[in-house]
Amino acid sequence: MDSADLTRATEGAEGSDLKTQVPEVQAPPRPPQHEKYPWPEKSRLLGTRVSRIDGPLKASGRAKYSYDIVRPGMIYGRILRSPHAHARLKSIDAAAAEKAPGVKALLITIKPGEKVMFPGEEIGALAATTEQQAADALRMITIEWEVLPALATVEQSMRPEAPQVFTPANTRRGTAQEDGDLAAGFKNAAFTVDATYSTQVQTHTSLETHGCVCEWNGDNLTAWVSTQAVHGTREGFAQGLKIPQANVRVITEFMGGGFGSKFGPDMQGLLCARLAKAANAPVKLMLDRKEEHLTTGNRPSAFAKVKAGVAADGKLTAFDATTWGTGGAGAGSDYPLPYIYVFPNRKRMHTDVYINSGQQRAMRAPGHPQGCFVTEVLMDELADHVRMDPMEFRLKNLPPLAPNAMWATYFPMGAERINWKSRHVTGDPTPGPIKRGLGCSANRWGGAGTGARAHCEIGSDGSVVMRCGTQDIGTGNRTIMAMVVAETLGLEVPQVTIELGDSNHPFAPGSGGSTTAAAVMPAMRVTAGKARDALFERIAPQLGVAAADITIGVGNITAGSRTISWRDACRLLGTVPVSVDGQWERGLSAGGTSGVQFADVEVDIETGITRVKKIVCVQDCGLIVDLKTAETQCYGGIISGVNYAVFEERILDRNTANMVNPNMEWYHMAGQSDIPEIDVVLVDQPERGVIGIGEPPAVATAAAVANAIRNATGVTLRSIPITPDKLLTELERAGGTN
Amino acid sequence: MQDEKDVSRRDFFKTVGVGSIATAVVAGVRDAEAQGPAPVGPGEIPITLTINGQRHQLSVEPRVTLLDAMRTRLEITGQKRVCDRGACGACTVIIEGRTYYSCSMLAIEAQGKNIRTVDGLANGSTLHPVQQAFCDNDGLMCGFCTPGFVMATVALLEKNPNPTPEQAKKALDGNLCRCGTNIGVLKAALSAKGVSRG
Repeated sequence: MDSADLTRATEGAEGSDLKTQVPEVQAPPRPPQHEKYPWPEKSRLLGTRVSRIDGPLKASGRAKYSYDIVRPGMIYGRILRSPHAHARLKSIDAAAAEKAPGVKALLITIKPGEKVMFPGEEIGALAATTEQQAADALRMITIEWEVLPALATVEQSMRPEAPQVFTPANTRRGTAQEDGDLAAGFKNAAFTVDATYSTQVQTHTSLETHGCVCEWNGDNLTAWVSTQAVHGTREGFAQGLKIPQANVRVITEFMGGGFGSKFGPDMQGLLCARLAKAANAPVKLMLDRKEEHLTTGNRPSAFAKVKAGVAADGKLTAFDATTWGTGGAGAGSDYPLPYIYVFPNRKRMHTDVYINSGQQRAMRAPGHPQGCFVTEVLMDELADHVRMDPMEFRLKNLPPLAPNAMWATYFPMGAERINWKSRHVTGDPTPGPIKRGLGCSANRWGGAGTGARAHCEIGSDGSVVMRCGTQDIGTGNRTIMAMVVAETLGLEVPQVTIELGDSNHPFAPGSGGSTTAAAVMPAMRVTAGKARDALFERIAPQLGVAAADITIGVGNITAGSRTISWRDACRLLGTVPVSVDGQWERGLSAGGTSGVQFADVEVDIETGITRVKKIVCVQDCGLIVDLKTAETQCYGGIISGVNYAVFEERILDRNTANMVNPNMEWYHMAGQSDIPEIDVVLVDQPERGVIGIGEPPAVATAAAVANAIRNATGVTLRSIPITPDKLLTELERAGGTN
Repeated sequence: MQDEKDVSRRDFFKTVGVGSIATAVVAGVRDAEAQGPAPVGPGEIPITLTINGQRHQLSVEPRVTLLDAMRTRLEITGQKRVCDRGACGACTVIIEGRTYYSCSMLAIEAQGKNIRTVDGLANGSTLHPVQQAFCDNDGLMCGFCTPGFVMATVALLEKNPNPTPEQAKKALDGNLCRCGTNIGVLKAALSAKGVSRG
């Protein structure tokens, strides 16, 4: 895996520098509003419910994803991969494969003596006329391996006698982070909790696998890539292939999910481009499901051995944690801890543990669900010690209220909607096997963005085209872009054409970290505003007024005392359209969101099966652009949190480090019948400008569910996913289910 | 290597074939000759598929799935390949009133049947009521699972135009979404109106 991936994977994860552990305490001041193009005082479209504009294309099957692209003469690529977790190549013979029916190109990227470090590592690729021929030819390659000892679990890797697999060591110890006086903190504690918490590795499992179609025209490459960053991927192709960026065009009109795992061409993209060059034909190379699970990223596991203290009055006093986790072969696993609540005296030491599995990548709110789970379950345990209601206990230990730290306001709002007052103390006293419980938790995220550029054209027929090299990865970016442009020009959404997902359009950053809305919406507002001003300048002489005397209405403009339709106004442009560039500017977006979630669950203590009945979510994201798609983002984040809480887990064979569930039936995810009722309250903060919403709602769900299970059953599950086997074991340990 | 799955899937199909012959043997050798599949392949053979009312003649190896035949030979790309082993439902098609995972049916087995995909639902620019309901209720995000969910919903509503929430959930349990559009999907399934019996 190239180092660019590594850097990118860790970029999204917030460091756990102690100064930033509770950033809410240093809440930013209210940002100044943009002087020339501020958001409107009274919006016509912003904050309303608009159906996504690409819905009909997607629902009709007409949307063409990278996976659907077919080019004349296109052939199919497949990658040759290591079957071993750790091995050294002795010999490789691909002569038969090269001559196999249909094979047009073959590349071997490993040399004898070189090592592979995880199952699925790329060692070559070939392209053939049909997918079946490509698969057949791969099987004809004879490889001799010297199989080396592999590390399949963090426990194996951390043992003193473990073979040294990684250089310089199997683990990398971070530096201790300390604040306050830990000893004094524990001295002031009336109660302490000393326990170990853990979260699993999960894979992104994007429905459209990673991959692309590559086509050369001389020295120029066009690549249809399933990516969250068309510009970043163009750069990646240019670097990897050593060709000028000007020779590369990356197109992603539609893409089937990425969740943080798709930011560059990756190995499969570079191999695809090289196969296409060698075969002198367009090549499609989309990974299969197993490859996707093994090699395209995952959320690292997290382990935390925590000792925490609370004073008799319910104030937190101390937090001391030794943490570790694995991001696979040579990748980090850090996460923010403690999360949100104020421990005045704290210490933390994190160790990255390497194992022979595919490397981690940023995954929907990297680090936060882990830190949230550990801290929030601990909070419920501490609350029980001081016999406080868990929500009251949280309210007592929150950072001060701020625009990006609204938990003290949101907790009571959520409590009302989940009927928190019906909550019983830990352990449902109701007889019978079905136990009901409630739990809560809080989340935070950044979601600020910058740097997007755009180009706007207004034609003499009144048509408006906005081009921006951003991408819509399923969030509704295309739709909210059109809403902002329509709002600014006094038009309806269908009158605006949005063109995105093409590196030939003006630069926009990759879509990660929930930054897209905050990066792109200001660019839309500024660019459309400049286009409007340019239109007024152009037509003012013909209308006999000063440009400053023209105002925009809905579908029309008013020049002095005359009101004419938008179309008639644009007709005055003649043959030369308005054509302006614009970009993100300060004063229209911000960063820093807060939210809370509540879970209502039902646990059958005879089967150990948990049913999540309801989730309440109170969440802000600054100025809400499209209420409809923003709510859907919350639904999606919450459902991913339910999966994290009770269903999904990457399971590796403890001897071979091979994934035993690299598919979609044993890698469990919620089906339609597993989906809880979800009640979303989106709090509008229009004065803050636009902030991203993709990741925040995905953070807190698992912790709220875990706490609700604890409230229902009276036993504490400190490890997710909370599967029936874990729950029954814990119930048995607590004295059986009777 | 990564091909074990393909190998085992072919083995699976072989097993199915052997199973049906074994059953036929019990019923008599003559019946077996009449019922058992004629040996075909291993090279490409000509087949005819009827998809969305249109007949397509093409040549595929017997091991090619219906999904791959549609997507790679006919450029009918509405249904998606996601898990490729009958778990996620993104490839759902309707054949004679019921849903099938087209990744788990061989193209040669689909001959002589009326295969319906998402590509054939809309009438020009007028969406099918189920497609419209998915748009209106935001039952889609990245959209990659959407064609499968739409087909599963169409099959449900053609049988049962007024499902209860429980019936709708059950009917959609064979489809997975990773973005988490399920709330909108259920609303769409319960609100789509005017779906006539297929």
